[in-house]
Amino acid sequence: MSANPMLSLTATNLVEIHDLVIGIQRTRKDRLLIVDSANFDIGRAEILGLVGESGSGKTMVCRSLIGTLKRRSASVFGGTVLFDGMDLTKLDEKGWKNVRGHRIGYVPQSALTGPNPVMTVGKQLAEAVRRNRKTKAPNVKKRVMELLDLVHIRRPEIVYSQYPSQLSGGMRQRVMIAAAIAQDPDIVVADEPTTGLDVTVQAGIMKLLKEIRSEFSMSVVLVSHDLALIDEVCDRIVVMHAGTCVEVGPVADVARRPMHPYTIALNRSRIDIAKPGEPLVTIKGNPPAVGDWPSGCRFNERCDWTQQDCTVGESPPLHSVGPGHLSACLHTDLLGESRG
Amino acid sequence: MPVFTPTFWGSPVAEALIEAKDVSVTFGSGSRAVHAVKGVSLEIAAGEAVGIVGESGSGKSTLARILAGLQKPDTGEVLFEGQSIYERGKAYRGDKRRLVQMVFQDPYGSLNPRMTALSTVAEAVRVHGDKSEGDPKDVSLKLLARMGISERDGGKKPRQLSGGQRQRVSVARALSANPAVLLADEPTSAIDQSAQAQLLNLFRGLLNDGLSIALVSHDLGVIHYLTSRVYVMKDGVFVESGPTQQIFDHPREAYTQQLIASIPGRSLRQESA
Repeated sequence: MSANPMLSLTATNLVEIHDLVIGIQRTRKDRLLIVDSANFDIGRAEILGLVGESGSGKTMVCRSLIGTLKRRSASVFGGTVLFDGMDLTKLDEKGWKNVRGHRIGYVPQSALTGPNPVMTVGKQLAEAVRRNRKTKAPNVKKRVMELLDLVHIRRPEIVYSQYPSQLSGGMRQRVMIAAAIAQDPDIVVADEPTTGLDVTVQAGIMKLLKEIRSEFSMSVVLVSHDLALIDEVCDRIVVMHAGTCVEVGPVADVARRPMHPYTIALNRSRIDIAKPGEPLVTIKGNPPAVGDWPSGCRFNERCDWTQQDCTVGESPPLHSVGPGHLSACLHTDLLGESRG
Repeated sequence: MPVFTPTFWGSPVAEALIEAKDVSVTFGSGSRAVHAVKGVSLEIAAGEAVGIVGESGSGKSTLARILAGLQKPDTGEVLFEGQSIYERGKAYRGDKRRLVQMVFQDPYGSLNPRMTALSTVAEAVRVHGDKSEGDPKDVSLKLLARMGISERDGGKKPRQLSGGQRQRVSVARALSANPAVLLADEPTSAIDQSAQAQLLNLFRGLLNDGLSIALVSHDLGVIHYLTSRVYVMKDGVFVESGPTQQIFDHPREAYTQQLIASIPGRSLRQESA
């Protein structure tokens, strides 16, 4: 259940990210930009997939949603992150305490190192339940058991008093998800939640995220570099490349009729649709180094359709190419039939 | 005994190049003993790509380590061209050492952080390589170039390289020994999708050049793409084995069916099929 069930009836977006710029101030004059700039919305009770290579800035965008940029010595240099009408970029640490964990839950990448190794599962979840709230002890335990049950942990009474090291990777990640939803947040941010886990476990975790969305009308942001996974679980996709959003749209459109050369290239490198033995299409060259982006479209050095105007000026903004489908490519007309 | 069928890459194969016969490994003893591998037999022919799939804890990595001679089996034997890899208690003695090389899952953990990509590969070239081929540095540069690593990137240390580049440096180092078999333990699980495509293209080229590859993975997509035969492992034994396409089209065991059903993105694949 979201904090205010009435809100889920309204049509507005839960999160609106406008021109978000994130970077690291290295010296007084030297800034390293990591994200410049991100533009996308997150709907209520929507599963949004965030894809992109390492270094494309997807994790930084997530961190701006949970207010942990400072821990990577990064900060927001511009733009807004409107969460239910509140600008998250303006929050101080005190303000974050009422948002992080409470209204925005977070599932970290590494399930193996995420939980505190010297605290039992029960204690950790109790901590997550009690934060910001004065709940009486018997009710805390009741809620913890309820959470363990929600994330389908078998024999919760045993797991309650176990330490993370006694659990498998998949179970640990379920515990992390239980902690993320402990306070009935409006949205859960899951940053590559299944990296390093088995496919069968991954399938279970994805099923769980979908359940959480439909049962509690929570929004979910799923970060992954696995397009096949995003394709299966998400409603909409945001494709990030070199610190900017290059394509945004419903899964069906972005995965099947991609309108940006980078998305097209990503789609072609998918092994799940490749024929065994046939060469996989790879993207030319290496991704540009963080902050050291070429002028114009940042994909121009690796693109098959580069025109003269692609190499000059600012990174091109997103424009509409279909209902709810945005692309930052200046020459979507050239992409034509060679897409797919 | 698995039946050999023509590989995707050309002629039918017959003779096993490397073979494990009824190998078992147990870690610990008494009530805490873990039977990681229980009487498993497998063979790989020259130029063949074989997949070993299973979940964490199924024993697939231990099996790869047995083939690499890093883990001595408690019972059973490992044969290379019909001869035991163990002589006087040690695996792959002398110039046999180069025959089987391994690429590990975590390219960051398996490279020396203080050495550049070039010096990492050059060290392996000096140890294994043929002196007649010329200067180790030139040989290493050629190997790196083949892996798509430029001379400029060769001068970088692991932390300055991307995950995909690091993994390709690991492969270059493994190839510097001029091996007959490459054992790859989850080589693509820590890298991006586009880097994964690059690495798989490389592996395909190596297969065409006659190298044998054993690919250990829980990613059935990668196994399906690259290998011609597959062994499905669970709790230390093979539950199913056979030609990859056949196993994917008609999995007999419930466990295999479950693994295949878990591959993400099947909806789109079925749609486009």
